[in-house]
Amino acid sequence: MASVIETRKSRLLLVGLVLAHLVAISKQVERGGQSLLGQGLFALVTPFQAVITGAIRGVSGGWAGYVDLRRVYEQNRSLQERVRVLEAQLQARQEQAQEAERLREMLQLKKELPLEVLAAEVIVREGAPWARTITVDKGSAEGVRLNAPVISATGVVGRVIAVGPHASRVQLILDGQAGMGVRIERSRVTGILVGQPGLPTAVIGDLVMKYVPSLADVVVGDVVVTSGLDHLYPAGLVVGRVRSAARGNGLFKEILVTPSAQFNTLEEVMIVRTPLPDDTMTQGVR
Amino acid sequence: MRVFWTAVALLAALLLQTALTQIAPGHARILDPFLIVLVYCGLTGGEMYGMLAGAAAGWIQDIHFGGSVLGLSGLTKILIGFAVGIASTRFHLVEAAARALVLFVATAADALIYTQLAAVFDVASYEVTPVGILVRALVNAVVGVAAYEVLERRGRFRMGVRRRA
Repeated sequence: MASVIETRKSRLLLVGLVLAHLVAISKQVERGGQSLLGQGLFALVTPFQAVITGAIRGVSGGWAGYVDLRRVYEQNRSLQERVRVLEAQLQARQEQAQEAERLREMLQLKKELPLEVLAAEVIVREGAPWARTITVDKGSAEGVRLNAPVISATGVVGRVIAVGPHASRVQLILDGQAGMGVRIERSRVTGILVGQPGLPTAVIGDLVMKYVPSLADVVVGDVVVTSGLDHLYPAGLVVGRVRSAARGNGLFKEILVTPSAQFNTLEEVMIVRTPLPDDTMTQGVR
Repeated sequence: MRVFWTAVALLAALLLQTALTQIAPGHARILDPFLIVLVYCGLTGGEMYGMLAGAAAGWIQDIHFGGSVLGLSGLTKILIGFAVGIASTRFHLVEAAARALVLFVATAADALIYTQLAAVFDVASYEVTPVGILVRALVNAVVGVAAYEVLERRGRFRMGVRRRA
Protein backbone atom coordinates (compact mmCIF):
# COMPACT_ATOMS: atom_id res chain seq x y z
CA MET A 1 0.00 0.00 0.00
CA ALA A 2 2.83 2.34 0.94
CA SER A 3 4.65 1.55 -2.28
CA VAL A 4 1.56 2.32 -4.33
CA ILE A 5 1.22 5.70 -2.67
CA GLU A 6 4.93 6.25 -3.17
CA THR A 7 4.60 5.41 -6.84
CA ARG A 8 1.68 7.79 -7.26
CA LYS A 9 3.56 10.52 -5.49
CA SER A 10 6.61 9.97 -7.65
CA ARG A 11 4.56 10.06 -10.81
CA LEU A 12 2.79 13.20 -9.73
CA LEU A 13 6.13 14.70 -8.92
CA LEU A 14 7.44 13.64 -12.30
CA VAL A 15 4.55 15.30 -14.05
CA GLY A 16 4.96 18.43 -11.98
CA LEU A 17 8.67 18.59 -12.61
CA VAL A 18 8.27 18.00 -16.33
CA LEU A 19 5.62 20.69 -16.60
CA ALA A 20 7.69 23.09 -14.55
CA HIS A 21 10.64 22.48 -16.79
CA LEU A 22 8.59 22.91 -19.90
CA VAL A 23 7.30 26.22 -18.58
CA ALA A 24 10.77 27.31 -17.58
CA ILE A 25 12.24 26.39 -20.94
CA SER A 26 9.38 27.92 -22.80
CA LYS A 27 9.73 31.16 -20.91
CA GLN A 28 13.30 31.38 -22.05
CA VAL A 29 12.51 30.61 -25.68
CA GLU A 30 9.82 33.15 -26.51
CA ARG A 31 9.13 33.80 -30.13
CA GLY A 32 6.69 36.14 -31.77
CA GLY A 33 5.35 37.42 -28.47
CA GLN A 34 4.31 33.96 -27.37
CA SER A 35 6.24 31.40 -25.40
CA LEU A 36 7.09 28.09 -26.97
CA LEU A 37 5.09 26.38 -24.26
CA GLY A 38 2.15 28.48 -25.25
CA GLN A 39 2.72 27.69 -28.88
CA GLY A 40 3.23 24.04 -28.11
CA LEU A 41 0.19 23.83 -25.91
CA PHE A 42 -1.75 25.78 -28.49
CA ALA A 43 -0.66 23.39 -31.21
CA LEU A 44 -1.37 20.45 -28.94
CA VAL A 45 -4.72 21.64 -27.77
CA THR A 46 -6.01 23.03 -31.05
CA PRO A 47 -6.76 19.68 -32.71
CA PHE A 48 -8.64 18.52 -29.61
CA GLN A 49 -10.48 21.80 -29.52
CA ALA A 50 -11.29 21.42 -33.19
CA VAL A 51 -12.52 17.88 -32.61
CA ILE A 52 -14.54 18.91 -29.55
CA THR A 53 -15.92 21.96 -31.31
CA GLY A 54 -16.75 19.85 -34.34
CA ALA A 55 -18.44 17.26 -32.18
CA ILE A 56 -20.40 19.90 -30.28
CA ARG A 57 -21.36 21.60 -33.50
CA GLY A 58 -22.28 18.28 -35.01
CA VAL A 59 -24.44 17.33 -32.06
CA SER A 60 -26.00 20.76 -31.74
CA GLY A 61 -26.42 20.98 -35.50
CA GLY A 62 -27.98 17.56 -35.57
CA TRP A 63 -30.28 18.45 -32.70
CA ALA A 64 -31.16 21.77 -34.31
CA GLY A 65 -31.76 19.95 -37.56
CA TYR A 66 -33.96 17.43 -35.79
CA VAL A 67 -35.87 20.17 -34.02
CA ASP A 68 -36.18 22.11 -37.27
CA LEU A 69 -37.29 18.97 -39.01
CA ARG A 70 -39.94 18.38 -36.38
CA ARG A 71 -41.00 21.99 -36.67
CA VAL A 72 -41.06 21.79 -40.44
CA TYR A 73 -43.00 18.55 -40.19
CA GLU A 74 -45.57 20.19 -37.92
CA GLN A 75 -45.66 23.24 -40.18
CA ASN A 76 -46.04 21.01 -43.18
CA ARG A 77 -48.95 19.19 -41.60
CA SER A 78 -50.54 22.46 -40.54
CA LEU A 79 -50.04 24.00 -43.97
CA GLN A 80 -51.37 20.92 -45.71
CA GLU A 81 -54.45 21.09 -43.51
CA ARG A 82 -54.79 24.77 -44.29
CA VAL A 83 -54.35 24.11 -48.00
CA ARG A 84 -57.09 21.48 -47.83
CA VAL A 85 -59.41 23.93 -46.07
CA LEU A 86 -58.60 26.69 -48.52
CA GLU A 87 -59.03 24.35 -51.47
CA ALA A 88 -62.42 23.33 -50.13
CA GLN A 89 -63.34 26.99 -49.67
CA LEU A 90 -62.10 27.83 -53.13
CA GLN A 91 -64.05 24.94 -54.55
CA ALA A 92 -67.14 26.16 -52.74
CA ARG A 93 -66.59 29.72 -54.01
CA GLN A 94 -66.11 28.48 -57.55
CA GLU A 95 -69.20 26.38 -57.19
CA GLN A 96 -71.15 29.36 -55.94
CA ALA A 97 -69.82 31.53 -58.73
CA GLN A 98 -70.79 28.98 -61.34
CA GLU A 99 -74.18 28.56 -59.76
CA ALA A 100 -74.64 32.30 -59.66
CA GLU A 101 -73.71 32.52 -63.33
CA ARG A 102 -76.15 29.79 -64.24
CA LEU A 103 -78.89 31.37 -62.18
CA ARG A 104 -78.15 34.74 -63.75
CA GLU A 105 -78.49 33.23 -67.22
CA MET A 106 -81.70 31.50 -66.24
CA LEU A 107 -83.04 34.65 -64.70
CA GLN A 108 -82.25 36.51 -67.87
CA LEU A 109 -84.01 33.83 -69.89
CA LYS A 110 -86.95 33.90 -67.54
CA LYS A 111 -87.31 37.62 -68.04
CA GLU A 112 -87.21 37.24 -71.79
CA LEU A 113 -89.56 34.29 -71.99
CA PRO A 114 -93.29 35.06 -72.36
CA LEU A 115 -93.93 31.95 -70.32
CA GLU A 116 -94.44 31.22 -66.72
CA VAL A 117 -91.55 29.05 -65.72
CA LEU A 118 -90.49 27.43 -62.52
CA ALA A 119 -86.84 27.02 -61.58
CA ALA A 120 -85.89 23.55 -60.40
CA GLU A 121 -82.75 21.83 -59.32
CA VAL A 122 -81.57 18.52 -60.65
CA ILE A 123 -81.45 16.09 -57.74
CA VAL A 124 -80.97 12.80 -59.56
CA ARG A 125 -79.12 12.13 -62.74
CA GLU A 126 -79.35 8.70 -64.29
CA GLY A 127 -76.26 7.74 -66.10
CA ALA A 128 -77.52 4.67 -67.97
CA PRO A 129 -77.47 5.27 -71.74
CA TRP A 130 -80.89 3.75 -72.24
CA ALA A 131 -82.50 5.75 -69.45
CA ARG A 132 -81.93 9.37 -70.31
CA THR A 133 -83.90 10.91 -67.50
CA ILE A 134 -83.28 13.27 -64.65
CA THR A 135 -85.21 14.07 -61.50
CA VAL A 136 -85.86 17.61 -60.36
CA ASP A 137 -86.92 18.94 -57.00
CA LYS A 138 -90.22 20.41 -58.04
CA GLY A 139 -93.53 18.55 -58.30
CA SER A 140 -97.24 18.94 -58.46
CA ALA A 141 -97.26 20.94 -55.27
CA GLU A 142 -95.30 23.63 -57.07
CA GLY A 143 -97.54 23.51 -60.12
CA VAL A 144 -95.63 21.10 -62.31
CA ARG A 145 -97.83 19.23 -64.76
CA LEU A 146 -97.24 16.13 -66.82
CA ASN A 147 -95.56 16.69 -70.20
CA ALA A 148 -94.48 20.16 -69.14
CA PRO A 149 -91.47 21.25 -71.24
CA VAL A 150 -88.19 21.59 -69.43
CA ILE A 151 -85.61 24.00 -70.69
CA SER A 152 -82.26 25.35 -69.67
CA ALA A 153 -80.46 28.58 -70.39
CA THR A 154 -78.85 27.05 -73.46
CA GLY A 155 -81.64 24.98 -74.95
CA VAL A 156 -84.47 22.50 -74.62
CA VAL A 157 -83.82 19.75 -72.05
CA GLY A 158 -86.89 17.51 -72.32
CA ARG A 159 -90.34 17.05 -70.82
CA VAL A 160 -91.86 15.92 -67.57
CA ILE A 161 -92.91 12.29 -67.74
CA ALA A 162 -93.75 11.68 -64.08
CA VAL A 163 -94.89 14.05 -61.39
CA GLY A 164 -94.64 13.60 -57.68
CA PRO A 165 -95.70 15.96 -54.92
CA HIS A 166 -92.29 17.59 -54.70
CA ALA A 167 -90.26 16.02 -57.45
CA SER A 168 -90.63 15.25 -61.11
CA ARG A 169 -88.93 12.99 -63.60
CA VAL A 170 -87.84 14.56 -66.84
CA GLN A 171 -87.23 12.69 -70.06
CA LEU A 172 -84.29 14.22 -71.87
CA ILE A 173 -84.49 14.82 -75.57
CA LEU A 174 -81.52 12.44 -75.88
CA ASP A 175 -83.73 9.53 -74.86
CA GLY A 176 -84.53 7.05 -77.56
CA GLN A 177 -88.25 7.38 -76.85
CA ALA A 178 -88.21 11.16 -76.98
CA GLY A 179 -89.36 13.16 -79.95
CA MET A 180 -90.38 16.72 -80.80
CA GLY A 181 -91.44 18.83 -83.71
CA VAL A 182 -88.61 21.08 -84.93
CA ARG A 183 -87.74 23.31 -87.78
CA ILE A 184 -84.63 24.78 -89.33
CA GLU A 185 -84.72 28.36 -88.25
CA ARG A 186 -83.15 29.74 -91.42
CA SER A 187 -85.10 27.84 -94.07
CA ARG A 188 -88.20 27.01 -91.97
CA VAL A 189 -87.93 23.36 -92.99
CA THR A 190 -89.73 21.19 -90.45
CA GLY A 191 -89.08 17.69 -89.21
CA ILE A 192 -89.20 15.39 -86.22
CA LEU A 193 -86.24 15.30 -83.84
CA VAL A 194 -85.61 12.04 -82.00
CA GLY A 195 -82.96 10.83 -79.64
CA GLN A 196 -80.44 7.99 -79.77
CA PRO A 197 -80.14 7.51 -83.51
CA GLY A 198 -79.17 4.24 -85.03
CA LEU A 199 -77.21 5.83 -87.81
CA PRO A 200 -73.60 4.73 -88.25
CA THR A 201 -72.35 8.31 -88.33
CA ALA A 202 -74.06 9.25 -85.10
CA VAL A 203 -72.15 9.86 -81.91
CA ILE A 204 -73.40 9.65 -78.37
CA GLY A 205 -75.54 12.66 -77.66
CA ASP A 206 -76.45 13.41 -81.23
CA LEU A 207 -80.09 13.76 -82.26
CA VAL A 208 -81.63 12.86 -85.57
CA MET A 209 -83.91 15.15 -87.51
CA LYS A 210 -86.25 12.91 -89.48
CA TYR A 211 -88.61 13.35 -92.34
CA VAL A 212 -86.82 16.20 -94.01
CA PRO A 213 -87.10 15.94 -97.78
CA SER A 214 -83.86 15.23 -99.56
CA LEU A 215 -84.20 18.42 -101.57
CA ALA A 216 -84.76 20.62 -98.51
CA ASP A 217 -82.41 23.49 -97.80
CA VAL A 218 -80.43 22.30 -94.78
CA VAL A 219 -76.78 22.99 -94.29
CA VAL A 220 -74.33 22.26 -91.51
CA GLY A 221 -74.55 24.85 -88.76
CA ASP A 222 -78.20 25.65 -89.19
CA VAL A 223 -79.99 26.38 -85.95
CA VAL A 224 -82.74 23.95 -85.04
CA VAL A 225 -85.69 25.29 -82.99
CA THR A 226 -88.93 23.80 -81.75
CA SER A 227 -91.74 24.08 -84.21
CA GLY A 228 -94.61 23.86 -81.72
CA LEU A 229 -96.44 21.46 -84.00
CA ASP A 230 -96.23 18.65 -81.45
CA HIS A 231 -98.32 20.64 -78.94
CA LEU A 232 -95.80 19.83 -76.27
CA TYR A 233 -93.00 22.33 -76.65
CA PRO A 234 -93.58 26.00 -77.30
CA ALA A 235 -92.40 27.05 -80.72
CA GLY A 236 -89.11 28.86 -81.18
CA LEU A 237 -87.03 27.30 -78.42
CA VAL A 238 -83.49 26.51 -79.48
CA VAL A 239 -82.74 22.80 -79.60
CA GLY A 240 -79.36 22.58 -81.30
CA ARG A 241 -77.36 22.94 -84.51
CA VAL A 242 -77.05 20.76 -87.58
CA ARG A 243 -73.84 18.79 -87.37
CA SER A 244 -74.23 16.88 -90.65
CA ALA A 245 -76.80 16.79 -93.43
CA ALA A 246 -76.41 13.88 -95.84
CA ARG A 247 -78.56 13.15 -98.78
CA GLY A 248 -79.65 9.70 -97.62
CA ASN A 249 -80.79 6.64 -99.55
CA GLY A 250 -84.51 7.38 -99.78
CA LEU A 251 -86.69 10.41 -99.91
CA PHE A 252 -85.33 12.04 -96.78
CA LYS A 253 -82.12 13.55 -95.66
CA GLU A 254 -80.05 12.09 -92.88
CA ILE A 255 -79.53 15.01 -90.56
CA LEU A 256 -77.66 14.89 -87.27
CA VAL A 257 -78.21 17.61 -84.71
CA THR A 258 -75.98 18.44 -81.79
CA PRO A 259 -78.11 19.56 -78.85
CA SER A 260 -77.30 22.95 -77.42
CA ALA A 261 -78.26 22.05 -73.86
CA GLN A 262 -75.28 20.96 -71.77
CA PHE A 263 -76.60 17.73 -70.36
CA ASN A 264 -73.38 16.74 -68.70
CA THR A 265 -73.35 19.83 -66.51
CA LEU A 266 -77.04 20.26 -66.03
CA GLU A 267 -77.87 21.38 -62.52
CA GLU A 268 -80.69 23.86 -62.74
CA VAL A 269 -83.56 23.79 -65.20
CA MET A 270 -86.78 25.64 -65.78
CA ILE A 271 -90.13 23.94 -66.05
CA VAL A 272 -92.75 25.62 -68.20
CA ARG A 273 -95.72 25.75 -65.93
CA THR A 274 -98.45 27.13 -68.14
CA PRO A 275 -99.59 25.57 -71.39
CA LEU A 276 -99.41 28.19 -74.10
CA PRO A 277 -100.80 28.49 -77.58
CA ASP A 278 -98.45 27.33 -80.26
CA ASP A 279 -97.47 30.63 -81.75
CA THR A 280 -96.69 32.71 -78.74
CA MET A 281 -92.94 32.45 -79.03
CA THR A 282 -90.97 35.30 -80.42
CA GLN A 283 -87.47 35.64 -81.71
CA GLY A 284 -86.45 37.25 -78.46
CA VAL A 285 -86.99 34.03 -76.66
CA ARG A 286 -83.64 32.83 -77.91
CA MET B 1 22.53 11.72 5.05
CA ARG B 2 21.68 10.43 1.63
CA VAL B 3 21.02 13.95 0.46
CA PHE B 4 24.35 15.04 1.80
CA TRP B 5 26.26 12.33 0.00
CA THR B 6 24.29 13.02 -3.10
CA ALA B 7 25.29 16.66 -2.90
CA VAL B 8 28.88 15.60 -2.42
CA ALA B 9 28.66 13.32 -5.40
CA LEU B 10 27.17 16.06 -7.52
CA LEU B 11 29.85 18.43 -6.42
CA ALA B 12 32.45 15.86 -7.38
CA ALA B 13 30.78 15.44 -10.73
CA LEU B 14 30.85 19.20 -11.22
CA LEU B 15 34.54 19.29 -10.44
CA LEU B 16 35.26 16.38 -12.76
CA GLN B 17 33.22 17.87 -15.60
CA THR B 18 34.92 21.21 -15.12
CA ALA B 19 38.29 19.54 -15.13
CA LEU B 20 37.42 17.68 -18.30
CA THR B 21 36.39 20.88 -20.04
CA GLN B 22 39.69 22.36 -19.05
CA ILE B 23 41.76 19.34 -20.01
CA ALA B 24 40.01 18.28 -23.16
CA PRO B 25 37.54 20.94 -24.23
CA GLY B 26 36.55 19.11 -27.40
CA HIS B 27 35.97 15.80 -25.68
CA ALA B 28 34.50 16.88 -22.38
CA ARG B 29 31.14 15.34 -23.25
CA ILE B 30 32.61 11.91 -23.69
CA LEU B 31 32.01 11.44 -20.00
CA ASP B 32 28.91 12.56 -18.10
CA PRO B 33 29.65 12.26 -14.38
CA PHE B 34 26.27 13.77 -13.49
CA LEU B 35 24.56 10.97 -15.32
CA ILE B 36 26.64 8.43 -13.41
CA VAL B 37 25.58 10.03 -10.13
CA LEU B 38 21.89 10.16 -10.92
CA VAL B 39 21.85 6.61 -12.26
CA TYR B 40 23.38 5.44 -9.03
CA CYS B 41 20.80 7.40 -7.07
CA GLY B 42 18.06 5.86 -9.13
CA LEU B 43 19.45 2.39 -8.76
CA THR B 44 19.81 2.63 -5.02
CA GLY B 45 16.99 4.95 -4.05
CA GLY B 46 14.13 4.34 -6.50
CA GLU B 47 12.32 6.66 -8.89
CA MET B 48 11.73 9.53 -6.50
CA TYR B 49 15.31 9.71 -5.44
CA GLY B 50 16.58 9.23 -8.96
CA MET B 51 14.25 11.89 -10.27
CA LEU B 52 15.24 14.49 -7.69
CA ALA B 53 18.90 13.70 -8.14
CA GLY B 54 18.40 13.99 -11.86
CA ALA B 55 16.77 17.38 -11.46
CA ALA B 56 19.63 18.62 -9.36
CA ALA B 57 22.27 17.16 -11.63
CA GLY B 58 20.60 18.45 -14.72
CA TRP B 59 20.26 21.95 -13.42
CA ILE B 60 23.85 22.07 -12.32
CA GLN B 61 24.83 20.88 -15.76
CA ASP B 62 22.55 23.45 -17.35
CA ILE B 63 23.84 26.29 -15.26
CA HIS B 64 27.49 25.50 -15.66
CA PHE B 65 27.71 23.88 -19.05
CA GLY B 66 24.41 24.58 -20.76
CA GLY B 67 23.66 27.14 -23.39
CA SER B 68 21.32 30.11 -23.31
CA VAL B 69 18.34 27.98 -22.35
CA LEU B 70 18.31 26.40 -18.94
CA GLY B 71 16.35 23.33 -18.06
CA LEU B 72 16.95 21.04 -20.99
CA SER B 73 19.44 18.90 -19.15
CA GLY B 74 17.33 19.12 -16.02
CA LEU B 75 14.28 17.83 -17.81
CA THR B 76 16.28 15.12 -19.55
CA LYS B 77 17.88 13.89 -16.39
CA ILE B 78 14.61 13.95 -14.49
CA LEU B 79 13.23 11.54 -17.03
CA ILE B 80 16.35 9.40 -16.94
CA GLY B 81 16.43 9.34 -13.14
CA PHE B 82 12.76 8.41 -12.99
CA ALA B 83 13.17 5.66 -15.55
CA VAL B 84 16.21 4.21 -13.82
CA GLY B 85 14.43 4.35 -10.48
CA ILE B 86 11.44 2.54 -11.94
CA ALA B 87 13.72 -0.01 -13.52
CA SER B 88 15.53 -0.59 -10.25
CA THR B 89 12.26 -1.43 -8.56
CA ARG B 90 11.24 -3.83 -11.31
CA PHE B 91 14.53 -5.58 -12.03
CA HIS B 92 17.44 -6.90 -10.04
CA LEU B 93 20.12 -4.37 -11.00
CA VAL B 94 22.94 -4.95 -8.55
CA GLU B 95 25.33 -6.84 -10.75
CA ALA B 96 28.03 -4.86 -12.50
CA ALA B 97 26.93 -6.00 -15.92
CA ALA B 98 23.36 -4.99 -15.29
CA ARG B 99 24.44 -1.62 -14.06
CA ALA B 100 26.73 -1.21 -17.02
CA LEU B 101 23.79 -1.93 -19.27
CA VAL B 102 21.68 0.58 -17.39
CA LEU B 103 24.37 3.19 -17.73
CA PHE B 104 24.79 2.41 -21.39
CA VAL B 105 21.08 2.74 -22.12
CA ALA B 106 20.71 5.76 -19.87
CA THR B 107 23.53 7.57 -21.63
CA ALA B 108 22.10 6.88 -25.06
CA ALA B 109 18.66 7.88 -23.92
CA ASP B 110 20.02 11.03 -22.31
CA ALA B 111 21.68 12.08 -25.54
CA LEU B 112 18.65 11.33 -27.64
CA ILE B 113 16.17 12.98 -25.31
CA TYR B 114 18.35 16.04 -24.96
CA THR B 115 18.81 16.51 -28.67
CA GLN B 116 15.13 15.92 -29.32
CA LEU B 117 14.10 18.42 -26.68
CA ALA B 118 16.57 20.91 -28.11
CA ALA B 119 15.08 20.38 -31.52
CA VAL B 120 11.54 20.80 -30.20
CA PHE B 121 12.43 24.06 -28.50
CA ASP B 122 14.56 25.13 -31.42
CA VAL B 123 17.65 25.42 -29.24
CA ALA B 124 21.17 24.92 -30.56
CA SER B 125 22.58 21.63 -29.29
CA TYR B 126 25.80 19.65 -29.60
CA GLU B 127 26.05 17.39 -32.57
CA VAL B 128 25.10 13.80 -31.87
CA THR B 129 26.29 10.96 -34.00
CA PRO B 130 25.59 7.28 -33.45
CA VAL B 131 29.26 6.61 -32.96
CA GLY B 132 29.56 9.49 -30.53
CA ILE B 133 26.62 8.18 -28.53
CA LEU B 134 28.04 4.71 -28.57
CA VAL B 135 31.44 5.82 -27.32
CA ARG B 136 29.94 8.06 -24.70
CA ALA B 137 27.67 5.29 -23.50
CA LEU B 138 30.55 2.86 -23.29
CA VAL B 139 32.73 5.32 -21.40
CA ASN B 140 29.97 6.16 -18.99
CA ALA B 141 29.19 2.51 -18.46
CA VAL B 142 32.78 1.61 -17.74
CA VAL B 143 33.55 4.60 -15.55
CA GLY B 144 30.23 4.39 -13.83
CA VAL B 145 30.45 0.70 -13.01
CA ALA B 146 33.95 1.28 -11.72
CA ALA B 147 32.80 4.17 -9.58
CA TYR B 148 29.86 2.17 -8.27
CA GLU B 149 32.19 -0.70 -7.43
CA VAL B 150 34.43 1.63 -5.46
CA LEU B 151 31.49 3.09 -3.64
CA GLU B 152 30.06 -0.32 -2.90
CA ARG B 153 33.36 -1.65 -1.59
CA ARG B 154 33.82 1.42 0.55
CA GLY B 155 30.36 0.95 1.89
CA ARG B 156 30.96 -2.72 2.63
CA PHE B 157 34.26 -1.77 4.27
CA ARG B 158 32.45 0.73 6.52
CA MET B 159 29.85 -1.83 7.38
CA GLY B 160 32.60 -4.30 8.32
CA VAL B 161 34.39 -1.75 10.50
CA ARG B 162 31.19 -0.99 12.34
CA ARG B 163 30.51 -4.66 12.89
CA ARG B 164 34.02 -5.22 14.20
CA ALA B 165 33.71 -2.24 16.45
